[in-house]
Amino acid sequence: MKETKYKLTLCDGTACIQNQSKVLHQALEAELDKHGLRQSVSIHLSGCLGICQKGPVLIVNPGYIMYGRVQVEDIPEIVESHLVRNKAVTRLIITEDHLYNRFFRIFGDVDFFGKQMRICLRNCGVIDPENIDDYLSLRGYEALAKALESMTPEEVIAEVKKSGLRGRGGAGFPTGLKWEFTAKQTADDKYVICNADEGDPGAFMDRSAIEGDPHTVLEGMIIAGYAIGAKKGIIYIRAEYPLAIERLEKAIAAAREHGILGANVLGSDFSFDIEIRLGAGAFVCGEETALIHSIEGHRGMPRPRPPYPSVKGLFGKPTLINNVETWASIPVILLDGGKWFSTVGTETSKGTKVFALAGKVHNTGLVEVPMGTTLREIIYDIGGGIPNGKTFKAVQTGGPSGGCLPAKYLDTQIDYESLAKAGSIMGSGGMIVIDEDSCMVGLAKFFIEFTQDESCGKCTPCREGTKRMYEILTRITEGKGQPGDIEKLERLGEMIKRSSLCGLGQSAPNPVLSTIKNFREEYEEHIHSKKCRAGQCAAMLSYTVNVKCVGCGACKRICPVGAVEGTRKEKHLILQDKCIRCGQCYEVCKFDAITKA
Amino acid sequence: MLTPIQTIKKKRAEAVNRIISKGYLSTKRVYVGMATCEIAAGSKDVMDVFRQAIANGLTDVYLSQKGCAGRCNLEPTVEVVEEGKIPVKYGRVTPQRARDIVERHLKKGEIIAEWTI
Ligand SMILES: Cc1cc2nc3c(=O)[nH]c(=O)nc-3n(C[C@H](O)[C@H](O)[C@H](O)COP(=O)(O)O)c2cc1C
Ligand code: SF4
Ligand code: SF4
Ligand code: SF4
Ligand code: FES
Repeated sequence: MKETKYKLTLCDGTACIQNQSKVLHQALEAELDKHGLRQSVSIHLSGCLGICQKGPVLIVNPGYIMYGRVQVEDIPEIVESHLVRNKAVTRLIITEDHLYNRFFRIFGDVDFFGKQMRICLRNCGVIDPENIDDYLSLRGYEALAKALESMTPEEVIAEVKKSGLRGRGGAGFPTGLKWEFTAKQTADDKYVICNADEGDPGAFMDRSAIEGDPHTVLEGMIIAGYAIGAKKGIIYIRAEYPLAIERLEKAIAAAREHGILGANVLGSDFSFDIEIRLGAGAFVCGEETALIHSIEGHRGMPRPRPPYPSVKGLFGKPTLINNVETWASIPVILLDGGKWFSTVGTETSKGTKVFALAGKVHNTGLVEVPMGTTLREIIYDIGGGIPNGKTFKAVQTGGPSGGCLPAKYLDTQIDYESLAKAGSIMGSGGMIVIDEDSCMVGLAKFFIEFTQDESCGKCTPCREGTKRMYEILTRITEGKGQPGDIEKLERLGEMIKRSSLCGLGQSAPNPVLSTIKNFREEYEEHIHSKKCRAGQCAAMLSYTVNVKCVGCGACKRICPVGAVEGTRKEKHLILQDKCIRCGQCYEVCKFDAITKA
Repeated sequence: MLTPIQTIKKKRAEAVNRIISKGYLSTKRVYVGMATCEIAAGSKDVMDVFRQAIANGLTDVYLSQKGCAGRCNLEPTVEVVEEGKIPVKYGRVTPQRARDIVERHLKKGEIIAEWTI
């Protein structure tokens, strides 16, 4: 293999494609061929780089030279001058000192990263999170300084409103409006809270964001304190995140040392400090009113709203609660501009969203993409598709509050409204890819088992209803489903959604209802034919020995209940009434001689 | 009295100086993933290999930890960044691989292509 000398990144975002980037791509390939450079130069396609008005954009590495408004006519010059003679084409170079996408310089040439745009995670994996110097050197706390020096609180709020940022904790409430409501309250004390409870099973976006770049969260909170007139910030984080807590503690200490937290922030007359409160890890404590109760030292139970926390929050004072990711976006909005931020995304949803991509995809990990990116792009272009030649079955977003979308929704654009319309939710960012080997009834059961366990018990429909749903699902997966069970689940689900107090109960039936809606036939098969097409519901499986058996006896030795009979070198037999369907014989047989059906 | 913006600019200049004085301008910068997920995948031992190598006389290398870049199933990850070169990103770095990276890449400049992401 010849060494790659140059790596080119061509923007493949919508705007650049409209500006003929595809034509550029062909011209580039032809020109590389002409010079015999195809072996030593690689071309990578990126997602939108956020500078569409300067597109089409081409980045040349090493050096991270960025060319803007590249025309087909420029290609021969770029290749001949830059790639052959190593002389950059000065007249096409654009310089960008944006805050977002810092990571791109290091990681942009890897497809998994190149298709992303990073606002919240811009520094994650790039800087030392335990050294405030690293953050400061990348324009850290400049947004705060700018707000304190050259913006009134109203102007800061106006900028956040202009950005179109909406809460990343799940509900998607417009952040600027929430700030404005809280700012308008007159009170002797106000609070700013960072919600880092992250109770979704499998979610780790907030943990990673804090562990990778804790200062950006602090900076966002301090700016909000200035904007709404609060002196005190609290980060509510689950105790199971020791490293994130340690890094927050270090960051807070360093910020205090630098006069960025405490009295007279950066020499201004604004004072603000932040403390950390640990949560015990109950899912419901992520709900804002329960979270407030928990900080106050009470049991973490939701209460009816209104009054909203912005009016009557912590200790009865106006309180501004935002999610980690929401906070991390604020410095970028102030420095790169609310206007710029609002150019990224869709009509109703601006900026980027972080997802924890998991399940049956090649590349699992943290993915931050512009709103409007399709599920297909995330799963196939970034995630690399489904491994082992299996077929895609569904994608689950929103965790225990969300839904499962089948293949026909793959071209759905990620935004709050589109996902809701398709029958799921944005949620906090869990994204699990499901292939043909997963049973949808089993998946629904998994989530409802979680929520019925996490229900705080205050409302009967949520407490009892989710239990009933869990029982019905359990019996369906055990092959004891009865006609009418599906309808029962639907009725219960609707009732729980309507009559629960908080978001936990209101959304708990979603995983069940959405799988019934999109995979009803799987429920019916379980109930009427006692069949699980994914082969996951153990009770519906049978193991039999087929003709390939050579009589090695391995299955007989491993079977925990003595359900296999047979003499050496002869075909063995599984006694169905003894077999407990543990699958061990299936695993151990080297001859493919046991059929699972 | 400095204004907030003047203050932060001064702080930035000081921060950059401190980073440089710690060897940032060395020929090679090595970043080792140290987040919960990376550590669970064994990155502390990997970090130790690089630390040890420097203690044993490896020069012209700036070693830093970093958070998680998000490539879960390839962790631990290590980047070797060199001015004027394409940053090299290694995945699934074991202590043994780290030792090889020290010997082959950091000392001899050889990029070990099969471990790159
Ligand atoms: C059951 C439940 C759990 C929640 N868990 C979280 C959480 O872990 N993190 C979070 O930011 N928001 C969570 N929320 C949403 C919060 O109530 C609140 O809307 C959010 O923190 C507001 O911040 P945002 O506007 O920045 O999203 C949860 C809501 C419910 C109903
Ligand atoms: S809906 Fe469920 S979790 Fe929410 S308050 Fe009612 S019982 Fe508690
Ligand atoms: S392990 Fe397979 S080949 Fe061996 S006896 Fe059992 S079924 Fe037959
Ligand atoms: S599935 Fe388990 S119990 Fe049944 S025959 Fe095989 S090993 Fe024995
Ligand atoms: S589409 Fe290329 S920069 Fe936006």
